[in-house]
Amino acid sequence: MNEPILKVLDLVIKFSLRGRILTAIRGASLDLQHGETLAIVGESGSGKSVLTKSFIGMLDNNGWVDSGAIMFDGRDIAEYRSEKEWLTIRGRKIAMIFQDPMTALNPLRTVGLQISETLELHQGLRGASAKRRAVEILSDVGIPDAAGRYSQYPHEFSGGMRQRVVIATAMACNPEILICDEPTTALDVTIQAQIIELIRRLQRQYQLSVIYITHDLGVVASVADRVAVMYAGDIVELGTAEEVFYNSQHPYTWALLSSLPQLGIRGQPLYSIRGTPPNLFSDIPGDAFAPRNPRALKIDFEERPPYFTVSPTHVARTWLLDPRAPKVEPPETILAMRRKWRGARP
Amino acid sequence: MSTKLERQASLFTFAEYDAQAAERAGYSSYSYWGSTVRLFLRNKTAVALLIIMTVLLTFTVIQPYLPGQKSPLKIHTSPETGIQLRNVQPSPEFWFGTNSIGQDLWARIWSGTRTSLFIGLFVGLWTVVIGIIMGAIWGYVRQLDRLMTELYNVISNIPTTITLTLLAYILRPSVSTMIISMCATSWWTMARFVRNQVVIIRDREYNLASRCLGTPTQRIISRNLLPYLVSVIVLRLALAIPMAIGWEVFLTYIGLGLPLSIPSLGNLVNEGRQIMMAPILRYQLIIPAAVLSIITISFYVMGNAFSDASDPRNHV
Amino acid sequence: MLAYCLKRAFFSLITVLIVITVVFLLMRLMPEEGYFGDGYDKLLPEQREAILRSMGLLDPWHVQLKNFYIALSKGDLGTSIIYRPKVPVAEIIGPKIPYSLRFGLVAIGLSLATGLWMGVVQAREKGRLADKLGTGYVVFINAVPAAVYLLFIQLYVTQFTGLPILFHRDYPISWLLPAASMSLGGIAGYAMWMRRFMVDELNRDYIKLARAKGMPSTAVMVKHVMRNAFVPMAQYLPTSLLMTIAGSIYIESLYSIPGMGGLLVDAIQRQDNPLVQALVLIYAVIGIFGLFLGDILMAIFDPRIKLEKREGSR
Repeated sequence: MNEPILKVLDLVIKFSLRGRILTAIRGASLDLQHGETLAIVGESGSGKSVLTKSFIGMLDNNGWVDSGAIMFDGRDIAEYRSEKEWLTIRGRKIAMIFQDPMTALNPLRTVGLQISETLELHQGLRGASAKRRAVEILSDVGIPDAAGRYSQYPHEFSGGMRQRVVIATAMACNPEILICDEPTTALDVTIQAQIIELIRRLQRQYQLSVIYITHDLGVVASVADRVAVMYAGDIVELGTAEEVFYNSQHPYTWALLSSLPQLGIRGQPLYSIRGTPPNLFSDIPGDAFAPRNPRALKIDFEERPPYFTVSPTHVARTWLLDPRAPKVEPPETILAMRRKWRGARP
Repeated sequence: MSTKLERQASLFTFAEYDAQAAERAGYSSYSYWGSTVRLFLRNKTAVALLIIMTVLLTFTVIQPYLPGQKSPLKIHTSPETGIQLRNVQPSPEFWFGTNSIGQDLWARIWSGTRTSLFIGLFVGLWTVVIGIIMGAIWGYVRQLDRLMTELYNVISNIPTTITLTLLAYILRPSVSTMIISMCATSWWTMARFVRNQVVIIRDREYNLASRCLGTPTQRIISRNLLPYLVSVIVLRLALAIPMAIGWEVFLTYIGLGLPLSIPSLGNLVNEGRQIMMAPILRYQLIIPAAVLSIITISFYVMGNAFSDASDPRNHV
Repeated sequence: MLAYCLKRAFFSLITVLIVITVVFLLMRLMPEEGYFGDGYDKLLPEQREAILRSMGLLDPWHVQLKNFYIALSKGDLGTSIIYRPKVPVAEIIGPKIPYSLRFGLVAIGLSLATGLWMGVVQAREKGRLADKLGTGYVVFINAVPAAVYLLFIQLYVTQFTGLPILFHRDYPISWLLPAASMSLGGIAGYAMWMRRFMVDELNRDYIKLARAKGMPSTAVMVKHVMRNAFVPMAQYLPTSLLMTIAGSIYIESLYSIPGMGGLLVDAIQRQDNPLVQALVLIYAVIGIFGLFLGDILMAIFDPRIKLEKREGSR
């Protein structure tokens, strides 16, 4: 399990917007191991969706990969330009599901047909055999009376059911990687749990590698093996869930964790990070988080920190890990959290 | 050497934290009207036509006051023979020639343009003003909604051609008949559109909140609805002119157009049509048709260009 | 489904009745001359009154209305006075219908085939030359009044190609130009509509998912976008069908085609009130009927509507 199934190297993605160039991803690197669940967390606008869309070549028309590589299956798929090349990946090797199940399905065609379509495309099944397999998949994702439901229309399903159908469509051809872009954000909390459980089961069953994109740390805590923290188009910290939660090193991760309402102390104002994310139209010297970081070093404003290794599985992009930097303790809320959780562990 | 090391060491000290700078770090330079104007200006065709139309309109207005212009109704006779100067080709004396009874076509064309533009603008303004007022009331006053919607359904079911024909037939052709019948048929669609917008906005949460706080209805309408309507107004006005000219041509065609003593682009084209089989006389058809086409195409293109430019989805 | 159809039919019928009544009442405002023909000036006022009375035009309006409906139910649309005196209107209109019908059907076929294809091509080539040409065409057709460009087409195309200027049923070739001209407006309409629809749909979430599934763009276009396009189009199809069948007024008078549209022009010019009244009614009823059919078609094609009606309001 040493060779990752997907490896992103120093990826730079730019967009042309209103006549100017916006750098949405500024040299991000990460890797996805076989069979693991990687969660990518970050605020809105940090670039989570853009990054994963580039894995299946679905950037908007005004965006492109400027430099860097995406290694998958021994090839650099960032080089792909034609639709034909991407069609070998989309749905077949890497599948993606989106946030809003209400609009993700064609309202004028039956649900079953939309799954059979994928089967016809990738596995060459036709007619009755496609229908049979589609019904199988439908019941696999937990839709009762799959055979009857096959010929129903999307508006006859509830939100959670629809998301299951979407997952069924994505899973129809046994992809190797499943990217879930905020799959539970539009759903009730109880349904959320069901969907998460469904994905987990499918993962075990089919040896799937899953990438979860979310801004909800609660979801991260329940599903992730590893966590990548994104800020302003860059991956600032990457490690196992334990490491990122209990031993975070980047000031942004501290700030993010501190904003969890659960860590708030009753009677005191909730913590929120001052300031706003930077404008990505201009080049950002140094660490993008520096202006909002009360504990920033001068060098944070001048030079971009490289990845420092904290453990074989844990890296963070912060000058605080440089031997020359002064020793900085995480904020008290983080320390309190660690103490509490360490105390609770067996 | 030592300064470099010193400098390096100093870099690893804490920087000053400026909370204000943190807030300033991200901003958006988006301005709705700025983007709209910029998008419109990028459309070279629309801008060119705008310039042409401005020139044309100015000229149409000032033409009668220029020196040497003739009356559109005067029948010109040759000074030597006393015979009417019929069907004279375009010449230095008559820039667009004369028609079949000896009237100066140049004067008639500009007079006709004025008439047609006047009708179009009037109908356009009426549509917009009455349409917005009625539409706003229709949308905001729930009790009226049912009645008005049923009325609208009935009225919109009848083809406009029929209504216009009928009205023109009954009221007999004249400028006021044209204006009345066109106004009567055109404000419904505008009102319906405004009503739909009002209904959507009325039920949006921020308006519910405003009402809870006691904001008067009038203020909600003027602050939330009106700015959006400006782009619609401009579009409607721009399209009203080709539409009115189109209807006018239609009515003239079926014999319910303006009398020849009131030249309009519609009846000038009709006049020209009657003698179009003789190639030398074709200028009487081609010239009014060309002017008409330029005007209608220009307004149509400008209207649509502005509408596209003011659609926020295109502001990327 | 049946309930929906019946409900719509009922409303359409009410609309038709309202329209008939309104047209009828409006027509009573028409100038008297239309009932007399050339003889108007020669008659004495008492004679005019007598004639008007014999036609029932001096009765109180509700009596007139009642008589009108009775006559209508018997299929009597009135008698022409000027156009062809003493001939029942129905007899005059009857023979005109096949011509308008035939031309209309051909024109619709042409419009649909050409227009839809053009719209698809435009959407696919968005921003490039093909799209701009198509848009130029649509702009021209929409901005310039039909009367004007149809005129020029008749003038110059017949010059360059030697096609006959006027229609005559003995010359099959004389069908070509009028039918083609008739379809021009429809082509512009369908092309513009199809293009806009396709461009709008291409931004939707389910299209994104279809692409992420690995569907090639062309398949997405055909199976999802175009399929979905037909639903809203179904609503407008019957109306355009029927209105074209009702006869294009311009084409028929330009090419001297003996259809209903030309008849309307003549009737108006000669101020034959009963004929004008009957024609206006027919056109109005056709229009309403078209809308009714359109609603039904849309209900057939869009599963959301059908079911909402079945289960009541959600």
